[in-house]
Amino acid sequence: MTAQLDAGILSYECNAPVRFLLLISCLLLFPVRAADPPSRVVSINLCSDQLLLMLARPEQIASVSRMSLEPNSSFMAGSAANYPPNDAMIEQLLGLNPDLVLASEFSPHPVIRILRHLGYRVETLPLSSNLEDIRRNIRHTAALLGAGDKGERLVAEMDRRLQRVAPTSAEARPSALFYQPRGYTSGLDTLQHAALVLAGWRNLSAEQGIRGYGAIDLETLLLAQPQQLFSSAYAPGTDSLAQRQMHHPALNWITQGRPIIDIPYSYWICGGPMIADAVEALAKARLDPSHHTSGNKHP
Amino acid sequence: MTLSTSGGKADYQGRLIALMAAALACLFVLSLFIGSNPIPVLTAALDAAGDTQSVIALILTEVRLPRALIALVAGATLGVCGASMQGLLQNPLASPGLVGSASGAALGASLALYSGVAASFWLALPAGGMIGSLLATLLVYTLAGRAAGTATLILAGVAVNSIALSLISLLINLAPSPYAVREIVLWMLGSLANHSMGDFWILLPGSLLGWMLLAGTGRSLDALTLGEETAHTLGVNLDRLRWRIFFAVALAVGSAVSITGAIGFIGLVTPHLLRPLVGFQPGRLLPVSALGGAILLLCADIGVRLFPAGTEIKVGVLTSLVGAPFFLFLIVKSRRWQI
Repeated sequence: MTAQLDAGILSYECNAPVRFLLLISCLLLFPVRAADPPSRVVSINLCSDQLLLMLARPEQIASVSRMSLEPNSSFMAGSAANYPPNDAMIEQLLGLNPDLVLASEFSPHPVIRILRHLGYRVETLPLSSNLEDIRRNIRHTAALLGAGDKGERLVAEMDRRLQRVAPTSAEARPSALFYQPRGYTSGLDTLQHAALVLAGWRNLSAEQGIRGYGAIDLETLLLAQPQQLFSSAYAPGTDSLAQRQMHHPALNWITQGRPIIDIPYSYWICGGPMIADAVEALAKARLDPSHHTSGNKHP
Repeated sequence: MTLSTSGGKADYQGRLIALMAAALACLFVLSLFIGSNPIPVLTAALDAAGDTQSVIALILTEVRLPRALIALVAGATLGVCGASMQGLLQNPLASPGLVGSASGAALGASLALYSGVAASFWLALPAGGMIGSLLATLLVYTLAGRAAGTATLILAGVAVNSIALSLISLLINLAPSPYAVREIVLWMLGSLANHSMGDFWILLPGSLLGWMLLAGTGRSLDALTLGEETAHTLGVNLDRLRWRIFFAVALAVGSAVSITGAIGFIGLVTPHLLRPLVGFQPGRLLPVSALGGAILLLCADIGVRLFPAGTEIKVGVLTSLVGAPFFLFLIVKSRRWQI
């Protein structure tokens, strides 16, 4: 028995070339094995939830975050209901035994760090602030899930829909801006800005030099004279002082009685192909004839 | 006190009120000239008067005018309520901010707002503020007892303010509106920005009622300076006076706070600044404090609009920055008296 063991050790030690070959084959094999699509994917962020639900085969999805069930925030709330929700709690995630965890750049860092430390594969998706970011995130997620074709189809369909409502260069671009409770608006480098421009509007907030999401003063807004105000309410049917400011009579006057048009928040809380829905809604509002008849009545 | 000097006093009081009213009018007009963007205010006023629809007229009448009016009414309310409470409680530190009226009003108003009751009818928001204000004031008064010393009153006020603020935080965390979370700053510090004329009309009735109730208390407050016994023999019904002032403060402060949030220290500081000018008579202090409170709040509001911070700071930040050191000064002064 000891002789056998010794022989084993001996052969193990003596066969250095064999070990080297084994190592090489491992290195060669691992990428091939990693390319096998993951089969137990857990997403812990609303944005990765939605891309996962759009791109993955149902049997690949192990869990999505609870936020994706909330219809005001989640575009995919309907299909999210078919999967067990998680709360991005570390113990819960370990119990799901995922072979891929999808998160956002802004997911809780301790959770991501612990998961990686324990040897789980975590991929974080960057935020999107323009169309190119959205395309990149769709393709990246599709590649992670082994669904490259589906990703390309999704991007092509989105681009086709955007192309259909794109303004011709001859059309006048009416002015608009987003106005949210507490005076928040969307300037350059936001999905709202990208969508406004794609739908043929001028974004006055961007022209005022606002970058990202910032506050716009009521007087500045009135002096900019937007022809249309848009908002994207986060929680319809609730009340707060911030939301009451949206009913300021001056806002109604400046757009000549045109009500603030509400675009569902779920279209752009995360970047995804649903931006096409938002652009279509914005383009529909632009084609409303009242803008062309009364657009620049007051100087 | 001879007849001639009392006649002179009335004359002096009249001149003081006229002077302060003139200063207030100047500040009110000045406040219309100041905003985030320079606009030709005179042209705007002509446009507004001539029914010409223009953006600058809109900014003047729908943005700056309500803001100035709300500052005026809320400031006057805080000033006169501070003066009457200091007179009633015979305590130099009594004021809406310290004895819980303001934080109670903020609690009541935010309860009405975030529970959804405020959406059902326009009076619900200020009514919530009034009820909250009355309950908090009564609680402090009960806790501190009738002849409370300064320290006891302050302790009771601190306790009730803390309870009210923690309940507001809890309420805001539970509020269905996601925008509610950041409004805690507003309820604690107050803001006059982005209000409409609609808000002013909500503010006005309660404030006017409160002022009218307070207007008749001057003589009783004067009598009270001679002590409760003497006041009683002079025909002052102390219980009625107490209820009348508490009720008036609740009406006025409740309305003001439900629109502007709790703006600190105006109610405390104003009467102190003006008391020497009226010969330390609480009755004469009331109208003067109303004017003084309005002047102070308009000044503070002009200050925050001129403050070069990029983004606008809340008016309560400024009043607290100026008011809190004054509060410390009062404490140091009262310590000296005790020693």
